[in-house]
Order: sequence, then structure tokens, then C-alpha cells
Amino acid sequence: MILSELARVVRSKNAGPTLLTIDVLFADQVDFERGKAALTARVVAARYGRVPDEVSIMAVASAHAVKIVLPRKVPAGAPGDKDVYGAQQHAPLLDVAV
Amino acid sequence: MSRFARLKANWPGSDAPLRVLAASGQLGLGIPLKAFEAGVARAPHVIAADMGSIDPGPVYLGSGTMAAAPSMARRDLGLVLRAARDLDVPLLIGSAGTAGGASHLAAVKVILREVAAELGLSFTLATIAADVPKAMVQQASIEGRLTPIGPMHADIDASVAIVGQMGQRAFASALTGGADVILAGRACDTAPFAVVPVLLGYPKGPAVHMAKILECTSLCCEPGGRDAMLATLQGDGFTLESMAPNRAATPLSVAAHALYEQADPAHVFEPEGHVDLSAATYKALDPGRVHVTGAVWHPAQTPSVKIEGARLVGHRVVMMAAVSDPGFIAGSDAILQGVHAAVAELIPPTSAAPWDLSFRRYGIDGVMDWPTPPGVPPREVFILGECVAQDAETARAVAAAARQQLLHWGFAGRLCTGGNLAFPVTPPELDAGPAYAFSLYHILELDNWETLDALFPVTFSDIQEDIT
Repeated sequence: MILSELARVVRSKNAGPTLLTIDVLFADQVDFERGKAALTARVVAARYGRVPDEVSIMAVASAHAVKIVLPRKVPAGAPGDKDVYGAQQHAPLLDVAV
Repeated sequence: MSRFARLKANWPGSDAPLRVLAASGQLGLGIPLKAFEAGVARAPHVIAADMGSIDPGPVYLGSGTMAAAPSMARRDLGLVLRAARDLDVPLLIGSAGTAGGASHLAAVKVILREVAAELGLSFTLATIAADVPKAMVQQASIEGRLTPIGPMHADIDASVAIVGQMGQRAFASALTGGADVILAGRACDTAPFAVVPVLLGYPKGPAVHMAKILECTSLCCEPGGRDAMLATLQGDGFTLESMAPNRAATPLSVAAHALYEQADPAHVFEPEGHVDLSAATYKALDPGRVHVTGAVWHPAQTPSVKIEGARLVGHRVVMMAAVSDPGFIAGSDAILQGVHAAVAELIPPTSAAPWDLSFRRYGIDGVMDWPTPPGVPPREVFILGECVAQDAETARAVAAAARQQLLHWGFAGRLCTGGNLAFPVTPPELDAGPAYAFSLYHILELDNWETLDALFPVTFSDIQEDIT
């Protein structure tokens, strides 16, 4: 199974103009544990062409959520930025095997 | 006696239910009417709205313009103003005019006065400025009291506008000073929603948590939307419900929303302290309402303010073209590099007249820098060229030269000698105006609370019915 089949929400958004945050929300505890195990810093970094040290991952059990934070390469809206709101940066995770 | 003073004088205590209506998370972009009216019918004790955000980028802060169309801002301001006066309750609006700088505040104040005159309303208006003096930031930088949030290089000297996010103290000062309506410059999203409950004695942790969720109205629901949202505070918790019957607040949807746009899922930092959400619990009261408890407020010893700055980086021209030729698509890395070099030969960039030219290939790497190329080459690719130069003429010249080079670029195996590009519009170069970048996104630490209060000065004015 891949992440897009397991997760209920996979959303990306700026957390301010310098950071990107990706929230992966699951329907229940079982799915959450399964997704959490798959979404390691190494796996996420590879998907974005980053090094694992740049990736921060937090599990939030109350929301059945995994939060990923990445530094943006360019501050939001600066010349060369490709996604001002950071709302379309989730796609590389959708086919991660879970 | 102001609306708030009357509310406070008669308030029975934090065991009584206090209703806060969130009219909009983006005042000026269109408040959905039906849900807002349903919220007003619930007789809220305070109406609050957020009008700004840093999300749309540096252009609004830098240029002093607002993202909302003035006509829509007028409509939304009319709705909330009339409702607040009909109910005779305080109205609080944060981050006026998108970026909350001096020109944004002034522009929204003009609209507000005009709307009040049209509606024949009288009240005491407080405006709160949020502009941060450059010298204060420079001094903080020297003294090591300026810390970037994420990767951000401070460029204080080049900043054309700097604002700070005010917390609850500025709003509290306006309310206790007699304001019926508050129009604030850049503010923490939570402040206009949380301040009245806190002043009436409700615990600050849950009040700020409530505000953090409420400021986006019904976005915390399933399905999410922009409809008005009602919070009822009582004792040590609060209950959330959407004013649109099809939007359900569920424990999961609300808990998940607390994460939204936050790098840290458990802590929300404000000038006066931070709220810790790690012990928060979310309980369904029925299929549409959630009761929340458990957030804890930790006051700070000294204040700190999140500041935002913008600088002008030049003038931007964009160029739009598309391709369907498979040979061009396969060779586009080398073609675009060649075009860039050819343009640089025609218009050499100098230190006195620098320019920057970049291409986004939609279908390949338009949205992000994928670490690997697409498995199957796309059938079509859209190319957006972006040139930022010191002046409009250079930006136009570079973009036009790039377009012409691209159109007729020879590459190995080329069959399409009539031209490489499909232009969707003519002219394919569009002037996008002055270009800005963020120059500050930092935490500014202050020594004392007086300095914080002085940073966000409150100005009172009497809005009279007969003003014209």
C-alpha cells in the first residue's frame, strides 16, 4: 500500500515564509502507527532531494498526525520561488510505501 | 461607557458561557453571508476577524497595498460593523489590509469610516499601529536580540517596511481605554479572538488555543470551509461549532487544525508567552460540536515580537510560452542553459545593472525541484520565464530576448524549424511590476513591557453618525 491510499489528508503549507510544513493525517491509531513507521527522515529527505538533517518529523498522537518540517530553499515570494503558499509540495510523498 | 466596559461590569464570571463569533479568517475576501447571520443570531458577546496574513508573500508589505479588492473589503466591513452595533458588542479586527503596515491601516480606516457613515453608526474606534522602527531592529541586531525564524538573512537597511505581530496587550489597552471597535495593524492571528475572554477572567491557555483554531473560522471542520465559527468558553474549556450546518467540528478535525501552518505542533509563541497544547483533549459533544480543554499558558519573563520586513528587489517581467515538440522537451535542460548564455551575451549583466532570469518548466519542474526527472516525458510543457532587473526596461529587454532565442533555438534533431514555442497570449511578456522579497522574519527580543507597549500605540477616534 502507498501513502495516498492510507492517509486521509496529505497537505503542505508554509509555516511562515522560511519553513514548509507537511501534515499527514490518518483516520485512526492503527493507520497512524503504520504511516509514522514509514515516514522516516531518511525516506522524506530522499523524496525531496534533501539530507535527513534538514528534515524534522513529529508525531502528534491526539490528531493521528505526522508533521514534517523542511526549510524552504527560497523565502516565499522571492524571485525564483515556485510555490508562494507552499500548498503543492506534498506530492513526492504520495507514493511512499507504507 | 464602552461596549466592553459594560460587558465587563456585568459579567458574572468565567463559569458563565461566553460566545466569541469568528466572522472571517480573511476579512475582505468575502464573508459567507448565511453562516455569518446564523452566528449573529446566536447573540455572541464579541465579534472578531482576522484580515491579514504573511502567506500571500512580501509584495503587500513592501508595496503597501492590500490583497483584498476594496469593494469586497467595504462589503465585509459593513457586515461585521452593522452586526456588532446591532448586538452592541465589541468588534475586533487584526492585521488590517493584509500586511498590517501603516498604509494598510490607513486605507482600511478610511473604508471603515465611510461604511460607518453610510450605515449611520457612532462608536469609539481604536486603531493600533504595528510598524517597527528600523533603528530599533538595528540596535537589537547589534545587541544579539534578533533571531531568524528558519533560513532568513536579515537585510534591515534595505527594508522598505517592517511590522511586528502585536499580542493581546495592545488590544487590551484599546478595550480598557474605551474602544468599541478595534482596527489593528499586524497582529498575532489569535489576539483579537482571545483578548476579551482573557480580560473577563477566562484562563489564558484555553483562550489562546480557542483563538488559534477559531482564527481560520470553519477550516477546522469536516469538510473545511470559510463559514463563520462560534466558540463558547466556559470554565477551563471551550466548545467549537461551525455556523454552517454541513461543516462538522470533530475531535480529529479540530486537533488536526491546531497543527495548521505551525512548525511546532505543541507550542504557539506570542509576545507575552506561549501556549502548550501537548495536554489538550478534544471530546465530541455531538456530531458537529467539540469540547476542548487542557491547553496551558506559560507567561514570558520578557517580551518578544515576531517581525516581518520586505525589500524591493527590482522590477519583474514574466514570459509565457509552451512546447509540445518531444525533441525540445527532451533537450530542454541544455536549451534553456544555452538561451540564458545567449541573452547574457546580448545584454551583459553588470554590477550596476544586474538581472536575473529563470525558467520554470511546468510538466517537469514548475512546482518544485524534483530530485529525479519524470518517469514518462510530458506531452506538453509550459514555460514560465521570470526576469527581475533593476528597472522595467531592462527586465522587458531580457524577457523579450529570451523569448526570441527560445523561439528559434536550433537543437540536434530539430524538426520544428517554424518555431519552438506556442504562445498562449500576445504579447507573451507581461509586466508584473515591482518585485519584493522578505528581508526580515525574525524574533525581536525586548527588554521590558513598556517597550512592547510603546511599539503598538493605540489611537482613539470618535466616529460620529453625521460624519461625511
